[in-house]
Amino acid sequence: MKLELLQGSRSRILAAAILIIAVVFMGRLFYLQVIQHDYYVGLAEAEQIARFKIPAERGLIYAKNGETPVPLVLNETVYTVFADPVTVSEKEKVIATLRSVAGSNIRENFTDLLDKKDTRYQILATKLTRVQADKIKEESLSGIGFQAVSQRVYPEDKLAAQVLGFVNASGEGNYGLESYADNRLRGVDGLLQTVTDVRDVPLTIGDKNINLPAQDGDDVVLTLERNIQSRVEQALVDGAKRTGGTNVSALVMDPRNGKVLAMANLPTYSPAEYFKVTDVAAFNNDTISGPYEPGSDVKTYTMAVGIDKGVVKASDTFNNTDSIRVADRTISNAYKGITGEITFQTAMNWSLNTGFVTVAQRLGNGSEITREARDTMYEYFHNRLGLGELTGIELANEAKGIIISPEELDGNAVRYSNMAFGQGLDATMVQVSAGFSALINGGNYYQPTIIDGVMQDGVFEQNDAPQPTKKAVVSASTSRQIKEMTQIARTSGFGSVDKQGYYIGGKTGTSQVIKDGQYSEDETIATYLGFGGGDETEYVIMVKVAGEGKIMQGAQDALPIFTDISNWLLDYLKIAPKG
Amino acid sequence: MPYQPNSYYTSRRQQNWSRNQNTTRFVSAVKLGPVAHTVLVALMITVLGLIYLTQATRATSYDYESQKIDSQIAELNNQKSDLQIENARLTALDTVKDSAVARELTTPASTAFVEQ
Repeated sequence: MKLELLQGSRSRILAAAILIIAVVFMGRLFYLQVIQHDYYVGLAEAEQIARFKIPAERGLIYAKNGETPVPLVLNETVYTVFADPVTVSEKEKVIATLRSVAGSNIRENFTDLLDKKDTRYQILATKLTRVQADKIKEESLSGIGFQAVSQRVYPEDKLAAQVLGFVNASGEGNYGLESYADNRLRGVDGLLQTVTDVRDVPLTIGDKNINLPAQDGDDVVLTLERNIQSRVEQALVDGAKRTGGTNVSALVMDPRNGKVLAMANLPTYSPAEYFKVTDVAAFNNDTISGPYEPGSDVKTYTMAVGIDKGVVKASDTFNNTDSIRVADRTISNAYKGITGEITFQTAMNWSLNTGFVTVAQRLGNGSEITREARDTMYEYFHNRLGLGELTGIELANEAKGIIISPEELDGNAVRYSNMAFGQGLDATMVQVSAGFSALINGGNYYQPTIIDGVMQDGVFEQNDAPQPTKKAVVSASTSRQIKEMTQIARTSGFGSVDKQGYYIGGKTGTSQVIKDGQYSEDETIATYLGFGGGDETEYVIMVKVAGEGKIMQGAQDALPIFTDISNWLLDYLKIAPKG
Repeated sequence: MPYQPNSYYTSRRQQNWSRNQNTTRFVSAVKLGPVAHTVLVALMITVLGLIYLTQATRATSYDYESQKIDSQIAELNNQKSDLQIENARLTALDTVKDSAVARELTTPASTAFVEQ
């Protein structure tokens, strides 16, 4: 009986033990599978599901060759060769292969890097082409790996460098269009989330797969004409040699629509080797980023205001004494001796400051540059013709410049007398050129533009024809008279240098440079602003020449560059002489 | 002794067969025990599992094919990019200027425009 009792007790104990163990197991399973469900599902997904970024291809940049887009910036996949020194087994073979295939792409001390057994990653060579990488891969070298990297390629080398800008090592656009249109060019990366096998090959099984294709960046076509750009850059190089100028810029614009055909600066750089540039000034596009006192080019503006307001004509006269008094200041002419009763056309031909201060006075009460005169000049210079305002051209780092309003204390008669001949205000070349284009195209202001369209599936889709952003900023009659005055100004002094039979006009500018708050005596900036064409005006060219500590003259230093470009353009654009 | 009928009338509705129906039933002579049933069920589950695995493997093999094609597309795109770059370099202005053809070109003595 006792034994049976004992047996019964053991059975019950065993049953109880099994029950307890079962409960423990069930409890543990409940904890793992129910309470910790999300945690372990997460761990499993992290193990099984991979997320791949599908990189968007950065948009290409094209210029035009005639009407055909040609690439200025392309993308190229290059390869970085790296080694895991611990697993490299055939060191001599690696060295020999890299030397024979990678050439100058290998790092100088790459043989030493292979001996660094305490590291697992050493870069041996960079920027190898696909062909080079394939040749090395064929050798099946253990411990050697490859990393594909996309980089920008510039088949035209330095052409339009400051317009383009560059892409830095982090893939960010810097300067020029690369910076301005960075988001547009960059595109949007895609995402592939999928179950993978052990080799990371995506599998379609699973219900949490995501496949968002990348959206490549836009392929942008610029208004720049490749041959014109190249010729302008060559003209700048020649001009810099001739004049000794170190900062030389030029801009060619179609005055009928605001499209920039060429935009060039010296010094320049190679965007593919931006990291070798020691002076960041080379990155700057001076035509849009370097405001300066435009000097006598602005006399065309002053004359246009006078004509448009009906206070002066080219044939009207004034008494030139080579100096004129404004408030407590005396303003003198740079070129002296053309005194007496002379026409405003003569003042334009000889660039006499007194003539244009007189125009400003006639906008007032005839002897003073009154508030009304200043308001009128500000209305034309700033509001209508865009000096001291961002033009909105599609490039990074455009500078606004400064033009003092009559509302301000400094916007007094002395200031505006200086502004009448292009001093006392800061403007950029693109502002001056765009305003001048409006003065000679019949009076319509076009916003300067450098983007002409996009490439869509290999087809050029041109933007709609630009429309004037401001109409009738001066009357058609004023525009015609200004064209004629500048044409006479050029012909009277320099007409022999132009191809005969064409309608070419322009205005020289020599402006002083402010240093330490005062006009420097030993440095000036030379400019030339002009137009050309046959029966129709087809281009506006602006040239600027400057150099540290150098006296530059518009007629001697900037005008020949204009002439060089203009005469070439007449042939290149096949412009027929005027009928 | 009470009347004992030796036959009963059964209506057609009460019959478990009716006109045009077979009147014999097949009864298998093979009798399956519980073990055989279990084995058969296990076999069926195995077959179903194999069918599932076959289908899953086939789907995976398509993924590998797809991956291979994607790699080929990427490779061809790389080759296309390389060719575009080469083409751009060969037609670049500096290359054209240095070409033998360009070196033979001369500036015309004069040009004229013809009115049409």
